[in-house]
Amino acid sequence: MPDVSHIGKRYEAPGQVIEAPQAAALAQAIAGDSPVFAEGAVPPSFAAVYCLFPTLGQLFMDEEVGINLAGLVHGEQSFEWPAPVYGGDVVDSSCEIASVEEKRGLTFVGIDCEAIRQSDKATVCRGRALMIIRGA
Amino acid sequence: MAGTPLAQIQVGDAMTPLERRVTQEQINAYAEASGDHNPIHVDEEFARAVGLPGTIAHGLLDMGILAEAVARWAGGYDRIASLTCRFSKPLLPGDTLTCTGQVSAIDEAAGIVHLDLEAVSDRGDRVLTNGRATVRLPQ
Repeated sequence: MPDVSHIGKRYEAPGQVIEAPQAAALAQAIAGDSPVFAEGAVPPSFAAVYCLFPTLGQLFMDEEVGINLAGLVHGEQSFEWPAPVYGGDVVDSSCEIASVEEKRGLTFVGIDCEAIRQSDKATVCRGRALMIIRGA
Repeated sequence: MAGTPLAQIQVGDAMTPLERRVTQEQINAYAEASGDHNPIHVDEEFARAVGLPGTIAHGLLDMGILAEAVARWAGGYDRIASLTCRFSKPLLPGDTLTCTGQVSAIDEAAGIVHLDLEAVSDRGDRVLTNGRATVRLPQ
């Protein structure tokens, strides 16, 4: 199980390509039959794809941290988008374990993530995920 | 979409609510597009085996719908500067999610509007709570 000794552990996922067709498919899945925005617009929550999953996926598979995936719940999520991303952008994503707390038999793990566009070094996303883990 | 100009917005104004019925087909499409293939979202038998009433929508799909509600009101995805929420209750396929919000503060100098947000299901579950967003609006 994660403990305070894991705070600061980082996971890097460089070279994530913002694929316009995949962003459009995600927008379609969210908006159903009533898409409202211009073709090529990347929905903000696409940050899950280019920033969260490639980095958190590594954390979840890290046996040294040992997260019990069967007891894992995504509790809270924050995102900031200091600059918009566009189809074709390539970003370097990373995440870091920011906090580990035990309360009421549950483990709360705070994870900071960010994505930086390669072409202009602009931070296009910053996020904080709170994961709640039951059991050992 | 133009969105509402900053000068016409006041603290307490309600965001135009967004209602969206979420089907299993839509959840499957989100799993495919996002790459999040956790079986609790797509495999009924697996979901029941781990104690859920059935498959549930991805929390990030619910959050995506909340983001769309904000984007529609603000006039575009790129107007959203930040979004936060707590995943309080699962949304089940067939449920309708209603996203609401109201303006909590306005920073005219920065061109930023702060919103408090919530999303509830038609079965009465408060699915997304403690929602907050900041949006950039044209003067």
